[in-house]
Amino acid sequence: MTTELLAVRGLAKAFGLSNVLEDVSFSVMPGEIVGLLGPNGSGKSTALNVISGFLPRSAGTITFAGRDISDAPVHAITDLGLVRTFQLPSMPHRMTVREVLKAGKRDDGGRFAPVAYGPEIDVLLQEFRLAHVAGHAASALSGGQKKLLSVATALRANPKLLCLDEPTAGVHVSLRSDLVGVLRNYVAQGGACLVVEHDMLFIRDLCTRCIVLDRGNIIADCLPGELENNPRVVEAYLGKAIEKGGMAQ
Amino acid sequence: MSDFLIHVISVSCIYGILALSLNLQAGFTGLMNFGLIAMFGCGVYGAGLVHRFGLPVALGPALALILAVLMGLFLARLGRRLSTDYWGIATLSIAEIARIFATNLEPLTGGAQGISGLPLLFSGLRPWDGAARLALFAVILGVAWLICERLVRSNFGLGMKLIREEPQLARALGYDIDRIRSTVMVIASVIAAVAGVLYAHYLSFVGPELLLAPETFLIWAMVIIGGIANNRGVIAGAFAMQFMMAYVPFVKDYFALPSDFVAAARLMLSGGVILGFLLLRPQGIFPERVGGRHDH
Amino acid sequence: MVQFIFDTLFRAADLALIAVALSAVYSLIRFPNVALVQYAVVGAFVGMALQQQGVPIVPAVLLASLLVGGIAQVFNAVIFQRLLRLDPAIALIGSLALSMVLSAGFLLGFGPAAQRFSVQVAPATRVFGVRVTEMQVLTGGLTVAILIAFALLLFRTPLGREMRAVSTNPVLAAATGVNTARVTGLVVFLSGVIAALGGAMLALRGSVSIDMGTNMLLPVFAAAILGGLGNAFGAVFGAIVIAAAETLITNLNFGPIVGQDHVFLPASYAPAASFALLVAVLLFRPRGIFVSEVTRV
Repeated sequence: MTTELLAVRGLAKAFGLSNVLEDVSFSVMPGEIVGLLGPNGSGKSTALNVISGFLPRSAGTITFAGRDISDAPVHAITDLGLVRTFQLPSMPHRMTVREVLKAGKRDDGGRFAPVAYGPEIDVLLQEFRLAHVAGHAASALSGGQKKLLSVATALRANPKLLCLDEPTAGVHVSLRSDLVGVLRNYVAQGGACLVVEHDMLFIRDLCTRCIVLDRGNIIADCLPGELENNPRVVEAYLGKAIEKGGMAQ
Repeated sequence: MSDFLIHVISVSCIYGILALSLNLQAGFTGLMNFGLIAMFGCGVYGAGLVHRFGLPVALGPALALILAVLMGLFLARLGRRLSTDYWGIATLSIAEIARIFATNLEPLTGGAQGISGLPLLFSGLRPWDGAARLALFAVILGVAWLICERLVRSNFGLGMKLIREEPQLARALGYDIDRIRSTVMVIASVIAAVAGVLYAHYLSFVGPELLLAPETFLIWAMVIIGGIANNRGVIAGAFAMQFMMAYVPFVKDYFALPSDFVAAARLMLSGGVILGFLLLRPQGIFPERVGGRHDH
Repeated sequence: MVQFIFDTLFRAADLALIAVALSAVYSLIRFPNVALVQYAVVGAFVGMALQQQGVPIVPAVLLASLLVGGIAQVFNAVIFQRLLRLDPAIALIGSLALSMVLSAGFLLGFGPAAQRFSVQVAPATRVFGVRVTEMQVLTGGLTVAILIAFALLLFRTPLGREMRAVSTNPVLAAATGVNTARVTGLVVFLSGVIAALGGAMLALRGSVSIDMGTNMLLPVFAAAILGGLGNAFGAVFGAIVIAAAETLITNLNFGPIVGQDHVFLPASYAPAASFALLVAVLLFRPRGIFVSEVTRV
C-alpha cells in the first residue's frame, strides 16, 4: 500500500461567523494530479491557503509526507516539499525573470555563495517560453506570462507536491498544452499536483482525479469523466447560472 | 594633501560605511530604518564606555559588537508584526529613546558632556597620523563594500530582493522572512557599529549630540542621492554629501551670513537633497543594476 | 492629584489638535504626514508675524490657519501626491525631509530664540489649589471647542459623510458620485487649519521655538497611533494617555523602590515615556487601541 502524500482530515475554516470550510477530508497520493473544483465561493482557494500555511485552520488536521503540518509556518511546509502558486501572481519590478526563477530553489552551493545560473534555468526558460524575456523586469510580463513564471519558479524548488491556484486563467490557449505537458512530465518524475481550476478542458486533459467543493463541503471525489453524470455536481453548478457555461465545455 | 582635505575624505569614508549599512537594509531588503543612528551609537558608546571605565581599548569593538547585535535583533523583532511605515516610526522612536538615555544616564555615559579623551588612532605617527587614519578608514570601507557586494550577489541576496518587493511570493517559495530580516539587521548593525567605533576614536570624543535624528537623515540623503540599492552609488553619495557639508562654513564666511546659517544649511541640504531626488530622480545618480552582469 | 489631572489635560490639549489632524489625513491618504507638526509651527509663527504687523490677535490666528491650510494643499499636490505614486514609505521619507527643510527655514527666518504672542498676562489664579492662568483655561476651552466643531463636521454634515465614505472605500465612494479628489483636498486643507490652530494655542499658552515641531513629532505620533491611525477621535484619547504617561513618569516617587525617601526622574525623561509607550503599543497592539483599519498582510 502506498502512503498518502497529503492527508486532510476534518478541515474547517471560519472567517468570523461564516464557515468557508466546514468539514473537508481528502488525500493526495504520489503521482496523482488532483483537480479541486467548485463554483465561486465554494472554498477552493481557502482550502489551498490553509493547507499551504498561509491561513490558520479553525479545526482539523493536515499531514504531509508523514508529518503533521497543521500549525507549521509556511517556510517549514515548503521545506518539506509542498510549494504553491497564487491566483494572481505579483512579480517584482527590480528583479529580472531569470532572477525570480533562480530564487525558486535556494541554497545550492550555500546560502552565501554567489548566484550561479546553471543550465537547468535555461531549460525551464525554454520549456515555459520565457527565454526571450529572461532579462526583463519580472513585473513587466503579461498576466499569463507571470502565471507561467510562477509555476516554473515553484517547479525549481523540486516539490513533492505542487499546489496550483488557477494556473491557466489568462494564459494563452497555445501555451496551455505546453503547461499540461510540463506538469505531466513533472508528475512522471515522481511529483504530484493539487490544482484549483475552472477550465474543464484543462482538467480533463491533466487530472487523474477530481474533488468538487460546494459551500465548504466535498460533494464529489471521482474521475474527471464521471463529473457530468454526477447529479450533485450538476446541481451545484446549475444552481449558479454563471458557471453553466464552464460545465458545458 | 591638505589636512582639511584629509579630514573631509576620512569622514566621508566613515559615512560611506554607514551608507552601505543603510543600503543593505533599505535598498536591498526594503527595511526603512529611520533609527540607523542608534546602530552607529552602539559603536560610538561601545568605544566610549570602555574608555570611561579604564578598560583596554581593544574591548571597545567587542562591546560595540555585542550592543550592535542586540540592537539589530531588537529592531528586527519589532518589525515582525509591523508594516513598513509603522516600523519606520518605531525605529525613529528607539533611536530617540537611546539618545535620551545617553543624555540622562550621567553616571554611566557622562551625560550631555559626553566622554572625551579617547585615544586617537596612530597618534604616534605624527605628522603622518592623519594619512594613516585615512588609509585605515579607506581599507575598512573597502572591506565593508566587498562584504555588501558579496551578500547582495549571493543566493541570500536574491531572497533579500524578493522580500523587498514581493514578501508573499518569497514566503510561498519557502523563504523564512523573519530570519532573513534579522540576519540583514544584525549584519547592517555591526557594519554601522564599526563606523561608530572608528568615529569615536577619530573625534576622540563621544556624546549624545552624535545621535541626533537629522544624522540618520543625512545618511538617507547619501543613499538617495547616490542611488538606492547600488553599493558604489551610495559611497559616492556619502562623499558628495560630506563635501557639500564641509564647504558650508566657507560659504557662510564668504557671504558674511549669520551663524545660524551653518546649522540651517545642513538641515536644508539633507532635506532638500532627499526631496529633490525623490521627486525628480528617485533612482539616484547611479541606479540599481537590475539583474546584475548576467542580464546585460 | 488635582495638579496631576491639570498637567495631564493641558499636555493632552497640546497634543490633541495636531494628532487629530494627523489621523484625519491618514484616513484618506494612507501615509502618516510627519510634516503636520511643522505646519503647527508655521501657524504659530505666521500668527505672531501678523500680530506684529498690527492685525488683532483673533483674525491673525484665523488668517494664519487658513494660510497654513492652503500651504498644506500645495505641499500635498506638489510633493506627496507624486511620492505616493511611488510608495507610501517613500512619501513618509519625503515628509520627514520636508520637516527638516521647514525647520531650517524657521531657523533662518526666526532665529533660535523662543517667540510668543503679545498678550496681556494675567496673574495665575488658584483653582482647587492648582495654579492656572487665564490663558491656559481659554486655550484649553478653545481646543475642546475646535474638536467639537470638527466632530460635528465629520458626523453631522453631508461633507463629513462623504469624508467617511472616501476613507472607508474610495472606489465605492467614487462610484456613488462622491468627488474623491475634492474631499481629499478639503481634508488636507482642514488638517492644515487644525494643526495651525494647535500651534497657535500652544503659542498662546506659552511660547513657541523653532524646534517645537521636532519635539512634538513623536508624542503626536504616539497619540495618533495609540488611538488607531485614521480614527480621528481615537487620537484625542491617545493624547490623554500619552500626556498621562509623560506626567506620571516625572511625578512618580521612585524612592520606595530604591530605598530612599524621594527619588524623581528628571523631566528630560518625559519624552522617553511616550516613545516607549509608542513602541510597546506597536509591539502588542499593532493597529492601535481603536482599530479602524482592515488588517494588512
